Amino acid sequence: MKDAGKWIEAAKPEYTVLIDEKHLVTRLYDMVNVPTAVWINEKGRIVRPNEVAYVDNRYTGMHKLQAEEYLAAIRDWAENGDRSIYALSEKELKERLAPQNPDWARASAEFGLAEYLYKNNQGAASIKHYKEAQRLNPDNWNYKRQAWALSDAEKEYGTSFMKEVQKLNGKPYYPPRRLPETKSKK
Amino acid sequence: MKKAFLIGALLLIAASDAFAGNRIVIFDNTATEVAAAPAALATGEDLWVTLADLTKATKFVLKPQGVCRDELCFPIPKARKSAFLSAQGKVTWFNLSEFARLTKQPTAYDTEHSTWFFGPRPEEQNQFVSSLIAPNFRLPDATGKMRSLQEFRGKKVLLLTWASW
Repeated sequence: MKDAGKWIEAAKPEYTVLIDEKHLVTRLYDMVNVPTAVWINEKGRIVRPNEVAYVDNRYTGMHKLQAEEYLAAIRDWAENGDRSIYALSEKELKERLAPQNPDWARASAEFGLAEYLYKNNQGAASIKHYKEAQRLNPDNWNYKRQAWALSDAEKEYGTSFMKEVQKLNGKPYYPPRRLPETKSKK
Repeated sequence: MKKAFLIGALLLIAASDAFAGNRIVIFDNTATEVAAAPAALATGEDLWVTLADLTKATKFVLKPQGVCRDELCFPIPKARKSAFLSAQGKVTWFNLSEFARLTKQPTAYDTEHSTWFFGPRPEEQNQFVSSLIAPNFRLPDATGKMRSLQEFRGKKVLLLTWASW
């Protein structure tokens, strides 16, 4: 709330805004970056799992994605529900979802420990565990960005977010967005 | 300003005290202070806790049929009982790290601050991969009121995460 509160107040959102200080949602859903979205239907079933979810084009220079297609997909789903071509079938979902690999599970524990130490004023001690989380799950940008944001990233980690994004040279650093090309199956 | 500064300072002292000579267990995202094991057991990275602390920190209880919480029970392998339980004087100690290996819970450990973090068991973490049901959670909204995903049953939910980095 200290950092995001003023933006939430200014935006006066009509949707529910939740504050997740322990990174609970990213852990439960195995998310690796923000913005990430999951679509959930009326019965509580996932209909689209983790995917990159930019809703405007302000960072298009970094990720080359156009928001319009995604917004159109959300609107189609809002209208047509499970009948929307963007809502995945159980078979498609099972192809996209996989159990967490054990290294990722350990990375999540290292990250949880680092967060606990940091919040209890042991920032210096937390760094080793953030690094271990990053080593065990190098694809998780949440682990990197959180650690870099809480420290002098250049000094402690020898890098920065922009440097790392540039190193990728256009390679996606996200679960890709895979929207069908046709617009409707009504 | 003066008042705010004082409160901040008090929190700082309380927080750094939490590490003074104690053992800290984080289990199900909740931190609990537990008693330090006698020297004979306090070797290596394993965490030994009393049976009272086992229940306080994890809600698991040692029963004749195994280590149990509600309907869930993990029998202790007979041949390896001594890896799990150790009597020191009148107190029985339980090896929580060995239990985590048995249940395949991921663990992280900080020597300097005697802090152990136990993550979810794989079958908890991966439940949604087979059920496809979105994992439920409870979090405060911007006014501090607790909300849960469950409340939104009957509606479509677009769960979108952002961070303040």
